Amino acid sequence: MRIPTLLSLLGAATALTHNNPPLQTSLTVHIPRSAPLPNPAALLPQTHATLNSLTKHHSAPLSDKSNFHFHNVTPGSYLLDIHCLTHAFLPLRVDISPSSSFSSSSSSDPSEQSPIKIEAWETFRGNDWGNKGEKVSIEVSDGNSGIVVVASMAGQKSYFMERSSFSVLSIFKNPIILLSLVSMGLFFGMPKLIENMDPEMRAEWEEQQKSNPMNALMGAASGQQGGGGMGNFDMAAFLAGSGGGKEDNKGGNNGGGKKKNR
Amino acid sequence: MLAMPSATILLVGLLALPSAVRAVFRDEVGHIDYHYQLLGLPQRETTFFHRPRKDEQGSLLYTLSDEGVLGAVNPGTGGVVWRQFLAGDNNNKTAVGEGFARAGEGEGWVASAYGGEVHAWDAVTGRNTFWARFPGKVKDLEVMEMTEAERKDVLVLFEEEEKGETVLRRLNALHGDVVWEFREVTKDVPLQVSTNVEKVFVVFLKGTKGAYSLKVTTLDTLTGKRLDELVIGTKANLNDEGDIMLVGANSAAPIVAWTDAEHTALRVNVLGLKTSQEFPLVEGTVEVEIHAPHLIQSQPHFLVHSKTATGNKGEVYHIDLKTGHIAKAYDLPLLPGKGAFATSSISANVYFTRITEDELILVSSQSHGVLGRWPLKNTNSKVAPIHAVSEVIKKAGADGSYAVRSAALTADDEWALVRNGEIGWTRPEGLSGGVAATFAEIPESEELAKSLEQEAHSNPVQAYIHRVKRHINDLQYLPAYLNNVPARLISSIAGTDVTSSAGKLSRDSFGFHKLVILATKRGMVYGLDIGNSGAAVWQKRAFQISKGQKWDVKGILVNESSGEVTILGAHNDFVVLKTETGQVISAKAPSSEATTQSTAIIDTASGPRLLRIGLDGKIGDLPIDKAPKQTVVTRGADGELKGVVFIPDGTTAHESTSWIFSLPENQRVVSIATRPSHDAVASIGRVLGDRTVKYKYLNPNTIVVAAIDDKTWTLTVYLLDTVSGQILSSAKYNGVDPAKPVECAMAENWFVCSFFGQYTLRDNSAQSLKGYQIAVSDLYESEETNDRGPLGDASTFSSLDPVDVPTGVALPSVVSQTYIMGAPISALQVSQTRQGITTRHILAYLPENHGIMGIPRMLLEPRRPVGRDATPAEIEEGLFRYHPAIEIDPKSVITHERDVVGIKKIITSPAIVESTSLVFAYGVDIFGTRVTPSFLFDILGKGFNKVSLVSTVLALFVGVTMLGPMVRKKQINLRWSAPM
Repeated sequence: MRIPTLLSLLGAATALTHNNPPLQTSLTVHIPRSAPLPNPAALLPQTHATLNSLTKHHSAPLSDKSNFHFHNVTPGSYLLDIHCLTHAFLPLRVDISPSSSFSSSSSSDPSEQSPIKIEAWETFRGNDWGNKGEKVSIEVSDGNSGIVVVASMAGQKSYFMERSSFSVLSIFKNPIILLSLVSMGLFFGMPKLIENMDPEMRAEWEEQQKSNPMNALMGAASGQQGGGGMGNFDMAAFLAGSGGGKEDNKGGNNGGGKKKNR
Repeated sequence: MLAMPSATILLVGLLALPSAVRAVFRDEVGHIDYHYQLLGLPQRETTFFHRPRKDEQGSLLYTLSDEGVLGAVNPGTGGVVWRQFLAGDNNNKTAVGEGFARAGEGEGWVASAYGGEVHAWDAVTGRNTFWARFPGKVKDLEVMEMTEAERKDVLVLFEEEEKGETVLRRLNALHGDVVWEFREVTKDVPLQVSTNVEKVFVVFLKGTKGAYSLKVTTLDTLTGKRLDELVIGTKANLNDEGDIMLVGANSAAPIVAWTDAEHTALRVNVLGLKTSQEFPLVEGTVEVEIHAPHLIQSQPHFLVHSKTATGNKGEVYHIDLKTGHIAKAYDLPLLPGKGAFATSSISANVYFTRITEDELILVSSQSHGVLGRWPLKNTNSKVAPIHAVSEVIKKAGADGSYAVRSAALTADDEWALVRNGEIGWTRPEGLSGGVAATFAEIPESEELAKSLEQEAHSNPVQAYIHRVKRHINDLQYLPAYLNNVPARLISSIAGTDVTSSAGKLSRDSFGFHKLVILATKRGMVYGLDIGNSGAAVWQKRAFQISKGQKWDVKGILVNESSGEVTILGAHNDFVVLKTETGQVISAKAPSSEATTQSTAIIDTASGPRLLRIGLDGKIGDLPIDKAPKQTVVTRGADGELKGVVFIPDGTTAHESTSWIFSLPENQRVVSIATRPSHDAVASIGRVLGDRTVKYKYLNPNTIVVAAIDDKTWTLTVYLLDTVSGQILSSAKYNGVDPAKPVECAMAENWFVCSFFGQYTLRDNSAQSLKGYQIAVSDLYESEETNDRGPLGDASTFSSLDPVDVPTGVALPSVVSQTYIMGAPISALQVSQTRQGITTRHILAYLPENHGIMGIPRMLLEPRRPVGRDATPAEIEEGLFRYHPAIEIDPKSVITHERDVVGIKKIITSPAIVESTSLVFAYGVDIFGTRVTPSFLFDILGKGFNKVSLVSTVLALFVGVTMLGPMVRKKQINLRWSAPM
């Protein structure tokens, strides 16, 4: 696994520091242009980055070129966080170690090549530290900025909850309201519709109504006819449970409806 | 190895986790919360007007405050343009007022130095242009106005105390490279660096304390090589650094000046010359300041500002550049009261602005003729200036009049801008640097309290008559109340706040209107009305704290019945004030020696009191009515904890140590947490999914002590019984960083501790962890459900009973879990509600993110199932699968988009409505809000749409009135047609 190798590297680094001046390096973290952040120059000035490890802490402010410069970082395995008010960044693991060629042959002159190797990966909070994610691109840039690690952006922070806004449309989306609207349409529209029919069709329709077993229901649905029917309801007969009474009742109901329509 | 999830899925999962978090609505911003964006008190040497862009007209006001905040303020509005909290970094702590800030004339950057770091900032955006850290402590920072290149460089003077060396570095102002370095190995105390056109001067104090002389080393600007060294005899007894004034850093003729201890004469030396000249000072001078321009092209004139106890005076001197001779040009009269001078220059001309308590005077350094005089208008708030900076603009046109704006620090710790005599804005910078705060109820009117008391003590009939009379008497307020109704109705429907009538403090029915009493390190006490966006109701200077000192407040307690607040300080000082008006009832000024270790709020026979605990935990005997009923836990001389009880003996009570808890060797206490004084517990048990009950361990006498071992990096958290001193539970965490903050909080039957940890897992040594962590522990009476442990239902118990007795000390059953936080947290506090029914939030300041987070207690539940999904019974209980990481969900940040800097402590208080807890945070900034951890369930929030409710009712009413006649008509028609 990775942990033992890492530990051995750390051991090498600490051993080296005993006889040489402590190994130190500069590290630059760059915020690139990305979809959630098209203009890194718009980031707030209090944005800063921290490098943390046991007993070590480094902090760097955001520069005018959207970089964080860390100075005098000693070898170790660090947790890199970028703290920003408006955007969230992924935590990174940054390993700073003496480069392998340097540590293997201690006789070679450290001034010949950079004695420091920097690697960076995405890391997952709450997971094993050895559980590294995607490797983050490292650039060796010219000038004094040294080695550049590119920060990865997670997205914009949204602090506020959306309040469910009131709109008339949302009321009409409610099925109960829709049902009541339909029945209301029937209530007002049906009598008008029947009245506007031409007499022949109407007579035909009424014939159908008579034969249709559903007409009782329709009568009830068209409101006042039902009410009129209820007015004729023979409660005593109904309670007596006589089938004939029930049929009579139905007939009465229909009759009431007919009379009204005429 | 754990599976490696894709980063995006992980993140989405994490953000979705605390979906039950109640975030802030955008329309609540500024309604339920308030925020003072503060800088701290501007310092005289580090405050200036500066034009950030050479080709643009506008200038900004920059300051590096005593709180270590560097900020740019818009002089037109007083709003903060940007700020950087230089003292915020753990590694960069320094003493009060040790920062330096300068700007190069015509340059687009501002340089600052604080602790061991040097920064340069873009003057407009506040972005960093370079920064560097050097060993030692910075002693001075100066801009080199004239260099061989087309830029201005920065000179920084560092003192490396442990080596006794002084290093002066010239830094390239564009990218911070060291151009040259000058190292002085003699153990002289560095004071200041100054430059003129061709040389750099470093001023040292030579010799021993009490008999100093001055040493001036001259350096070459190009190479930093030593050119010359002069020792100037001081003649007068130069006692310490404070007596020396160093000015005119970049002027054509920089000077150094000093006075004797009695302030009878001022000695001035033009740097580079061996001789010094002496000038007499006004009799009774207590303080001298020197004001000189900072530009090379300015005329070499300076002003000596001498302050006496009752007035102040200015004298203007001119330096002859060729001979170095100093001559007095003219006097500005001795005026009574406080006053301040400020220097400004327009090309070669130098102007001095004098601000007194009632006017602003502008003079030229050439002659004493007054160029402009503006009486201070609208001076209902009296301006007593301490120091000021000014910007002078010569108006174009024939009359050649001037416009002046001055930013002055007043004696009341306010920063005010005076524009041609009119006060443009004031910033309450004194609110920064809070050291203690507490909530206080708004005192009810004394009359009501009195008459209620009278009713309680008289016989029922009389009480009834009295009550009826009182109510009849109250009728006189009815018309005013009725008058108020329409306004209240409208504001209630429109959702605006009902402003308290005529600025009078009154309680509200929800309990949101309270006072916060805030004491600052500068000796000021403020009363803030949190019902009115935290506006200051009163401010009082309790004590005059001398410069460099701070008011070390150890305890604050409000006595609600008498409406008084008591503040105890470390130097045997106290002050008692009225909470409503700030009127000082009694006070004792701080003595020179610290006598107090801490204070404790105790219950005594005469009510709650603030008990002063002396050094090494000594309290001494107390009168019987002032002796605590509980055990008091103190810290002994060697860091051990002691339980102290008071044994009554006649009229006094003797102090007696009942137990001592000594920490193992190498361990030191880093944090102590106690249960809050108001810690309502709604239920003594937790009902589990299967309808069994786990009973909470609710021992009121418990404290949490976190101790760290600096050598082995282990943190041990002890739960102590304060009556017996017994360890009820302890937990050890490996790989804890002692340099990073460790904090604990405790409430109900649980406690939390946060720390930075890096360790390999105990159950799987192949895995390791690194990050900020929070460990939570729940205490239950028994491991079993439906079991109340050895105590059973007993209504009393004694901590002093032996453990082996069946009903003896019941050790709690502890369930713990650790989570990794997405960012460091500090200033832990638990939200408090009236009955404790509402779930709790752990409020924590995020020092890196500059916000306050409310972590739901449900999220930190230690019983969350690990490694499997929750069963339906567990889901019913509110448990969900354990995930070790807790990201900083922006929705749980109660400060939302606000940039809240430097919070040291958060306090909470219950409101009358159960759902709400009042929060107040102080430190550098002031922030207050209301949190509702279980949502706003008992009052209508802003989201309740009263307009739609009213309009629905109206629409229904209209519908009914319209449909009514229609239906009636139809029914009548039906009746008439029915029998046909």
